[in-house]
Amino acid sequence: MNTEVSTDLVCPDVYQWLCHLLKEIDGITHPPRHARRQRLDVKAEALPALLALLQGKGSFVHLSAISAVDWPDDGEFELVYHVTSYELKVTVSAHIRIPRAPGRYLSIYDIYKPAGFFERDIFEMYGIYFEGSPWMEKFILTEWDGPPPMRKEFDSEGWVNDHFDWQDYHPDWLKDLEAQGGGIAIRSEEQRFSRKSKDEG
Amino acid sequence: MRAENYQARHQPPSHEYELNFGPNHPGIEGNYALKVRLHGDIVTHAKADGGYLHRGFEKLMEQRLWIQNIALVPRICVPDPAPMELAYSTAVETLCGLDIPVRAQWLRVLQMELSRIAAHLFTFGGHAATTGMYNTMFWGVSDRDLVLDLFEELTGGRVYHIYNIPGGVRRDVTEGFLGRVAQFLDYLESRLPDYDNLFFTNQVFVTRAKSVGVLSPQQALELGVTGPNLRACGLAFDVRRDDPYLVYDQLEFDIPVEQAGDAWARTLVRRAELKESIRILRQVIERLPGIPGPIRAPIPNPLAWNVPAGEYYARVESSKGELSWYVVSNGGAKPWRTHIRGPSAMHAVQVLETLATGARLEDVAQIMFSLDACPPEVDR
Repeated sequence: MNTEVSTDLVCPDVYQWLCHLLKEIDGITHPPRHARRQRLDVKAEALPALLALLQGKGSFVHLSAISAVDWPDDGEFELVYHVTSYELKVTVSAHIRIPRAPGRYLSIYDIYKPAGFFERDIFEMYGIYFEGSPWMEKFILTEWDGPPPMRKEFDSEGWVNDHFDWQDYHPDWLKDLEAQGGGIAIRSEEQRFSRKSKDEG
Repeated sequence: MRAENYQARHQPPSHEYELNFGPNHPGIEGNYALKVRLHGDIVTHAKADGGYLHRGFEKLMEQRLWIQNIALVPRICVPDPAPMELAYSTAVETLCGLDIPVRAQWLRVLQMELSRIAAHLFTFGGHAATTGMYNTMFWGVSDRDLVLDLFEELTGGRVYHIYNIPGGVRRDVTEGFLGRVAQFLDYLESRLPDYDNLFFTNQVFVTRAKSVGVLSPQQALELGVTGPNLRACGLAFDVRRDDPYLVYDQLEFDIPVEQAGDAWARTLVRRAELKESIRILRQVIERLPGIPGPIRAPIPNPLAWNVPAGEYYARVESSKGELSWYVVSNGGAKPWRTHIRGPSAMHAVQVLETLATGARLEDVAQIMFSLDACPPEVDR
């Protein structure tokens, strides 16, 4: 992270302006960085008030995205709310941390409508439940009954090995080649996914 | 969605019925579906149904080296893959503190604008086809093919270029390439009056597209609309201008705006953007030969490359709107987290549901194509 304010500022006073605005809310640290990307570290309980303030007084009308990051070693999820002001030409990323269990947080759908999409996505992929969201249902993973797949403990390769059989690929045309000592160039022990049947595993 | 997972809405008896619009339907873009509830031919409720194209890119990227992901990222959106490469590369470069050589930045602009032209030609074709005008589709696809020829020469790949890598670009222009780009631009410009006659000012299309799928500026801001769809509501916001990257701040171009906010206005904005892209490319052709220098910054051994810990939110303007990429590194050899915010994540879900509700069934396809929604950006 760049800890110095860059010199090519689009709006040089945006850092001071944000500091002034954010005095109204407790629990926010605001390290300086490049003028068009501001980072706020926020206490989880202060976030809805912060976003309401940024949207209302701060002209940050555009919710660009909500990103979830899994930090299993800390036992926490990080939620990052990227909001943009078209007037100031600045994107502010507000970072909060919530405990991994029970993995619940508040929906901001009433402040930013696009949050409905991102919260549903995070609910599916990370299993974080957003209270107050109208859309806590499946969208992309309709057929999925496994654990939330984007969590770090979810092992894609392990899941495949546990739930699917590998098929041997020996069509007739290949058998002739194999009889002559040829065949698929990669030796089986070098293949990324070994040909393992479910019973062996 | 499998049949056994489908739950019919329990409603009191009425004249309404539900219709599955997609995933196999000529009026839907890609593998995507809408569940529409109809009263006569008026849509009373629309629900987007995605997931048919989910390939788990974000998870896959966490399991691959920083450099390996370059081959993966353009595959997220087929019609306009170049901005995906750029957004990812920019994020990695910022995390590493790499300075990109000026010549590489110009080459990237060349790739971005050619890709924008290709994507818009493709969209016009699809959009025209929803009104039964297949000629425009054939023209659009065949003219797009000329751009793909240029891409093949520049990058080696027609659709997926894998041209941007963290640090710069893979190849310089070949001899005579810029001349061939100039020729293509002249050809495309000479074609535009024909396109106008055939499609943009054709009364068959204008009557069909006017006042269909109207977005007010207020609605557009509330729903997170970006790109040409936002500019069709009279709001001149463009990441290239507001949050400049590469050398866009040294280039002269206008941001076309329309006021009506309907399907026709959105099409006209894209039509005007073609002209702006041609204008930008002509400046690139003029100035690129005078810009010396390498096309790549030196990067560490890419197979043993630990990107410093940090996070960055990279934004670029794709042909569909604001494309952002949030990349987190914990100092390891693979990304800790990448999150893609495709513009269509908004346009194909909430915006489409809002605009389709109250529309006539025959306008649904046209609304979707006028939004230029790219379903793989929703599913990833």
